[in-house]
Amino acid sequence: MNSSVKEARKANKLSSTKSAGQLVNEYWEMVFRAKQEGKLVCWYEGSAINPFLQCADIVWVHGEAYSALLAARHLEGPAQVAAEEHGYLKELCSYARTHLGCVVSNQRLKNDSDSDVVNWADDQSLATRLPAPDMIISAYAYCSTGQQWDEITARLFGKKIPIFNVSIPLIWGGKPDAGYLRGKEWEETSRYLERQLYAMVEFIEQQTKKKFEWDRLREMMGYVKRASELRLEAMDICATRPAPASFFDWIVSIAPINNLPIGPHLVDLFQSIKDEVQQRVTDGEGAIHNERYRLYFDGIMNWNKVGWLAEKFARYDATVICGRYTHLAFWQEPGLIDPQNPVLGMAQNYLVCPINLSAPFLIEKTVGFCRKYELDGMVIHSSRTCRAFTNPQFLLADAVTEQVGIPTTMFEGDVTDESFYKDELLNSRVETMLEAIDARRVSGTLPASTVRMPLVQRSVEAPIVVHR
Amino acid sequence: MSKEILDTFRRVASDPMGSVKAWKQASGQKVVGSFPMNFPGELVHAAGALPVLLQEADDPITVGHGVIYPFYCGYTRSVVDQATKGDFEILDAIMFGDHCVQLLGAADAVRIKAPQKPVVFYQLISSMNDPWTHGRARESFVGLKAELEEQFGQIDAKALHASIRLFNRNRKLIRRLYDLRRTGRISISARDMQAIVKSSMVMDKATHTAQLESLVSALEAAGPVPDRRHVRVHLSGHFCQAPKPEILDLIESCGATVVGDDLFHGFRYISTDVHEEGDPLDALAHWYMARNTGVPCPTRVQNDVDWDGFLLKAVSEEKAQGMVVLMAKFCEPHMYYYPEVKHAFERHGIPHLLVETEHEGIPMEGLKTRLETFLEIVRRREAAMA
Repeated sequence: MNSSVKEARKANKLSSTKSAGQLVNEYWEMVFRAKQEGKLVCWYEGSAINPFLQCADIVWVHGEAYSALLAARHLEGPAQVAAEEHGYLKELCSYARTHLGCVVSNQRLKNDSDSDVVNWADDQSLATRLPAPDMIISAYAYCSTGQQWDEITARLFGKKIPIFNVSIPLIWGGKPDAGYLRGKEWEETSRYLERQLYAMVEFIEQQTKKKFEWDRLREMMGYVKRASELRLEAMDICATRPAPASFFDWIVSIAPINNLPIGPHLVDLFQSIKDEVQQRVTDGEGAIHNERYRLYFDGIMNWNKVGWLAEKFARYDATVICGRYTHLAFWQEPGLIDPQNPVLGMAQNYLVCPINLSAPFLIEKTVGFCRKYELDGMVIHSSRTCRAFTNPQFLLADAVTEQVGIPTTMFEGDVTDESFYKDELLNSRVETMLEAIDARRVSGTLPASTVRMPLVQRSVEAPIVVHR
Repeated sequence: MSKEILDTFRRVASDPMGSVKAWKQASGQKVVGSFPMNFPGELVHAAGALPVLLQEADDPITVGHGVIYPFYCGYTRSVVDQATKGDFEILDAIMFGDHCVQLLGAADAVRIKAPQKPVVFYQLISSMNDPWTHGRARESFVGLKAELEEQFGQIDAKALHASIRLFNRNRKLIRRLYDLRRTGRISISARDMQAIVKSSMVMDKATHTAQLESLVSALEAAGPVPDRRHVRVHLSGHFCQAPKPEILDLIESCGATVVGDDLFHGFRYISTDVHEEGDPLDALAHWYMARNTGVPCPTRVQNDVDWDGFLLKAVSEEKAQGMVVLMAKFCEPHMYYYPEVKHAFERHGIPHLLVETEHEGIPMEGLKTRLETFLEIVRRREAAMA
């Protein structure tokens, strides 16, 4: 018997998030059945426009979510091979590369005119089950790659699929009146995006040939608003010590808030998550068993490695509490949503996603999180093919070191291409950072707010072996 | 005479910032640096300043790698490196107007690493055939004009019209050179064509245009050098940054004659004129949209325009026998569209060669072998079909 199997897991995951996995499975089965049930299918990337689609009885496929699903289940390989065989280079966004690989395969299977993709098991692969789109809506904030990905998708389908582009400008904040959620630029950009969303609804009406049901959207956005409030309240509770939930708990509950069907069950889910988090505080139970370090995670998720990373950090007695990807995304400004008149607030939430804010805003937010959660260090995931996330990382690292006085470290990986992940580099760099935190505690140079835990030997002496 | 003029253009192209410094010292005028590729230099010129397209430097990237990752395109890394080293001190402002995710990162880095330098931001819409594209583009140019006026004073319509006419004249002259080269009436190397275009991005436009007038006349009078039966090729790709001249030299020394291109430091830059009548901001918005139908750009999205179709047509009109694709490593727009081009050329039986370039340089001996093999394939294919 492998000795690593005997070791108890150190990551103490929330049990209430388990139902999220069930919701994910049910959602994808709904997607896979769409054609048989005569439903229209819309592909989109980026912004969470799914409430509009659900209201119109259109089945929605979020490209990143599908690539992430494949990666999380370690089924991304054949799609990525198919994409590379078609001519997409490995340095291209791996979300897009994986998704485009599904398109290439879809077209090959449909046309039956090309040779099989290497290692492709047609009857078994999840990637082959993705239904082709009847329409594409591109609404990608900040990242030019997203818009081009949608355009290329339409071209791979022979330009026969109607496509609608929503342009989402960056919030640059260059004027004296500019601030987070304020200033002339903010107001004008919000209204510009709102107008496009109304035009998008007209496009949806053209595709469905029926009137859009605004009352349904109002009802749904009421659920989204409440679920988001509960999610953020639960996150706020994690400022306590030990933190009752970790960044990885918020990672596994992204799908429900971002792209799964909306309804009262969404509110129930996040109510149960909040209740469990609150109960843990009452019980003094942490997200890991011996919290000695409290960390921030900057960067997009490494979807091949969610469980792996959760366990790895737990074994370092480090709770990753907060992150840009989880805490600055996914309807994170519910106060802007007026369920009776939701479109402007939806537009504004699309605008403040964690890549569409320019560096000064991100610095302000990140420094604020480090202080609020009393963090000891920052881990930066340098995701090789996601430049949208890596763009400000050196600037963020400098700012956090200068303004908060905590150390940072980086590791190489990728959003869905496992070949870019460097485990040994992560080990050595995280260990070095934790040593630095220890040394600063001894010397008293760490900010006072972060020196609370007794200095004891870290419990990570044996090599970490985690089976996925 | 043409040698003297070309020497000037070559000198400017090889040291753009040095040339800008010299110009500023001599003229005492302001200089505005701009990110590529859709910057209306006419607005800056009408404001009485020198518009300069910021170029990838030849220097190795050093301190810039403390601000941006090595897996970014050479242009982005070089601009950040230059800003971090203080090489942009000579500039009075920097303009930024693109949506490329890497360039957006560079804009933030430049703003933070050069805090005293005004960074004027105007993000052009990149979806090119929406009902609101023209209006939004015009709004961006209105905002840009207003910001320039904050820095440099009022820009009146008369001055802007004059700048548009001057820039159009400059573009027309360079297009004339392209036409003469394509039809075999002059001989001009790919390196020199790049120097002509690149110097136009940097030099005072009136000076450059005056010299171009003389150069075009002199080259027309001189006529072509005898045809050495080289393979006629089209050069494609390389958007924001200029391909290294050494690569262009190598392509030609292996037995190719470059008869056309769609490089940004080439035909893409001078492809489209601005309407000289009517509202100039309206005209600039039209120019922005027309550029993408004239020479489609993978950095924009436009479902009714095909870059691969444009390239097939260009190759046919140029009587090119093959195409060399120059792709700057890590350039995502190019990575997206390359398979479209690849499959279209394969369907039409036109040979092409993909060359991935890097800021740090690429092994030239290996490239030489690939180019020689490619050109040999072209020759044999043509011989077999004859």
